[in-house]
Amino acid sequence: MKPGTRLKSAACDTEVMVIRCAEGTIECGGAPMAEARPADAAPLAADFSAGTLMGKRYVDTEGRYELLCVKPGKGSLSVDGVALVVKDAKPLPASD
Amino acid sequence: MRIEPDTLESKTTGPETGAPEGVRLAIPLARWADRQLEALARDHGLPRLDGATLLGERAANGGFRIGGRVSAGLGGSRLLPTRDGKWFALTLIRDIDRELLPALFGTTDLAVHDDAAIAATTLEHECAELLERGRALGLPVASADESPVSAPVEVIERGEHRARPRGHRLLVVDLSAIWAGPLAGHLLWQAGMEVVKVESRTRPDLIRRDDPSTFDLINQGKANLLVDFASHEEKARLVDLIRRADIVIESSRPRALRHLGIDADALVREVPGLVWLSVTGHGARGEAAGWTGIGNDCGVAGGLSRALARASGRMGYVGDAIADPLTGIVAARSALRALREGHAVRIGLAMSAIANMALAEETGFDPAALEIELRTWGLAVGRPFPPVSRRSLTAAVRPLGADTHRYLAEPAPC
Repeated sequence: MKPGTRLKSAACDTEVMVIRCAEGTIECGGAPMAEARPADAAPLAADFSAGTLMGKRYVDTEGRYELLCVKPGKGSLSVDGVALVVKDAKPLPASD
Repeated sequence: MRIEPDTLESKTTGPETGAPEGVRLAIPLARWADRQLEALARDHGLPRLDGATLLGERAANGGFRIGGRVSAGLGGSRLLPTRDGKWFALTLIRDIDRELLPALFGTTDLAVHDDAAIAATTLEHECAELLERGRALGLPVASADESPVSAPVEVIERGEHRARPRGHRLLVVDLSAIWAGPLAGHLLWQAGMEVVKVESRTRPDLIRRDDPSTFDLINQGKANLLVDFASHEEKARLVDLIRRADIVIESSRPRALRHLGIDADALVREVPGLVWLSVTGHGARGEAAGWTGIGNDCGVAGGLSRALARASGRMGYVGDAIADPLTGIVAARSALRALREGHAVRIGLAMSAIANMALAEETGFDPAALEIELRTWGLAVGRPFPPVSRRSLTAAVRPLGADTHRYLAEPAPC
């Protein structure tokens, strides 16, 4: 999958932009994400229902995946069943 | 007018080349800024500050040269031609932003620290596509040919009126960072107010470290508080302080503020007379509220670079992060007007739209002088910024967190 691809959740309103990815399955709310939303919504898995926050970047512990939330929703993000975590924001340096 | 990238390849003009005889190099729009400062002195009792100084003192402090298609100073922003013959401004000042470049360009195959590679890749894309994706990614980007989507100054929320007793010393809580917001706070301090600068433990205002001379000028005389936004108690005390304030200045993206648990609109509805300034790149409402923008790219988005190219034949940045000081001045003036009316109000200030407004007003005021200034500026790439009369400090610069205890120690009375 190309970086810059937009993925939609099958279980909630979440949309992400792929910044970095490998071959695993990217999921939201416990269901695989895809470029198009399916006609029938997937159920929101209880273990993946903490929600996504607009503008936050989500990463795995090995640094292979990074997703930017461009639309928030009730599901939370995972890859092959392993939850992603929020990457901390950095302050802006002095000058541009 | 489309400027062919080829005609812009000559890197620098010699100091004299092309500049009209006898024309003094000046930051375009400095006269516009100066008229605002004249009004601030006349209407609100500020000392008479010089427009050229406020627009040029950061560049003077840093010994900047006019950078053309690369922003002055650290050169964090660059104007790049796109496949469709337009110009895309891309600001990259943190490594964390460069990490987004593969997503911006849709390729894993990019050396994200190689500026030549970034320029070559930009040339393969259409400007509108990069602008849309860059904004979705939260990158500070602009097009030389866009029009601001927000009003320069707009009322976002209103609240109750408050009558202030004579002699009440106005309190400003300044949560902003970098230049525009802190300059607004500085001008309010110049107007005699008590200004409290609040910095985040995890995201302090890095200008203190990276550009201390400018930091000191625009933050002198302010009390300084350090707040841990992860601590509910510290945040609750800060909100108590805000409830006692007359003016709040912040320059966060609206959702970042909400993530921190500070609801600007609710506070404006609840606290009579509270004037809340939300300084943003492109607007505090709608989709633009999620976009980022800083001084140089906001100047591009406000049409200044296109005006420069029209006047001089050269695409480039106008001034040094010019949307910042223009916005700081407009923000202070807006706050002082609102205070006079006395109603609580949240005012959104959009840097790109303010740059655009200043350009339009100056074009109406003295088009010939502006044209010459822009032409001279466009042809002066490589020359030092014009000298400005420098200010010296007249008050102490408080160390980081020096006043936290004094302002936040006591739980607020019920």
